[in-house]
Amino acid sequence: MTGNLNLVGYGLSAIGPGVGIGLIFAAYINGVARQPEARGMLQPIAFLGFALAEALALFGLVLAFVL
Amino acid sequence: MSPLVLAAGGEGFTPPGPEDFWWPIVGSNTSNWTLTRPAVMVLLSVVLIGWFFLAATKRRSLVPGKLQFVGEGIYGFIREGIGRDLIGSKDFRRFLPLLFTQFTLILVNNVFGIIPFVQFPTMSRIGFPIGLTIITYLVFHAVGLRKKGVVGYLKDLVPPGLPSWIVPFIFLLEFVDKFITRPITLSLRLFANMFAGHLLLLVFILGAEHMILDLGPGFKVVGLLSAVLAVVMTFFELLVEVLQAYIFTLLTALYIGGALAEEH
Amino acid sequence: MSTPARKPPSDDGRDGPLEEARAWGITSYLLAGLLTFGGIGLLLDRWLGTTWLVLVGLLVGVGLAFYLIWFRYGTR
Repeated sequence: MTGNLNLVGYGLSAIGPGVGIGLIFAAYINGVARQPEARGMLQPIAFLGFALAEALALFGLVLAFVL
Repeated sequence: MSPLVLAAGGEGFTPPGPEDFWWPIVGSNTSNWTLTRPAVMVLLSVVLIGWFFLAATKRRSLVPGKLQFVGEGIYGFIREGIGRDLIGSKDFRRFLPLLFTQFTLILVNNVFGIIPFVQFPTMSRIGFPIGLTIITYLVFHAVGLRKKGVVGYLKDLVPPGLPSWIVPFIFLLEFVDKFITRPITLSLRLFANMFAGHLLLLVFILGAEHMILDLGPGFKVVGLLSAVLAVVMTFFELLVEVLQAYIFTLLTALYIGGALAEEH
Repeated sequence: MSTPARKPPSDDGRDGPLEEARAWGITSYLLAGLLTFGGIGLLLDRWLGTTWLVLVGLLVGVGLAFYLIWFRYGTR
């Protein structure tokens, strides 16, 4: 089997952010379901958390090409 | 998959790959001007959409018939949900033809990917998303430049209220974002979703066919499972296709609305 | 009376499309940050002959992208 080990590394590194983003939005949905008025307060926090987790995913993608 | 199959002593199986997306009809296999199947399909989709909406609006009555109801439903969805909300009720009407055309075109071409005898999403050839993205790119930059002038448009890239030593970096970031990253992600998102979805369906279906027809009884059971999964993935593909059409149109409207916004 | 484009997020649950569009905006800001400052780092590496400037560029790009995302989407 031929190929590049970079891609295997990228695939493995995409597990973490995937789980992380799922957890973040699960918590957001939970919070809004329990108290719909909290939606405006929770939304910026959810998107900040999403940005942090997504950064790691994009890091993995870019480094798979650069290295 | 091939090493495992070879180890079991079966025939060689070539897994589907990007070469399965090249389908020339008229012309040689390597020139740049061959007429390929996706090109014919896009033309066909345009004819279909035009015929559908002409038929839906032929006899306009206040209480709509079935065809008119569907046509009005799609148009109303784009106009209210995407146009008015994101561009603002003052000048969203100018862009409604663009948004409507993009949505219906991408939707029909995507759904071509699962209709039984057609089964090829034309947006999985990257030329088509690139064409649509170029139109979006030119429109939203031209609208912003015409409204605010070049200097005003560039000044508007940076949100107000930043400490002044960081403004050049943020300006560079925003410039690259608006002029390079946004069109790349827009076209790449549509292309990658359609390409990956079609490849996934090909793997399941061709694998099921190979396993059921050519290999031993143990593989036949796995082949049956693969065929069931192909059916499940077809429904999932339908969801992804509709969603991608919606997101493309939504982002076009958002960028146009952002270029027209007067405040931050 | 015309409504301005991109109303601030309301509390009555009607801004479905705006949320998704915000998520894609975040992704494209992060990617833009990585690409520009990683690219600058790469060019500076080639010019100065060092090896670690690419990483610094990537980190600076991510940091700036975070700052911009926080500024635009986090403090409204």
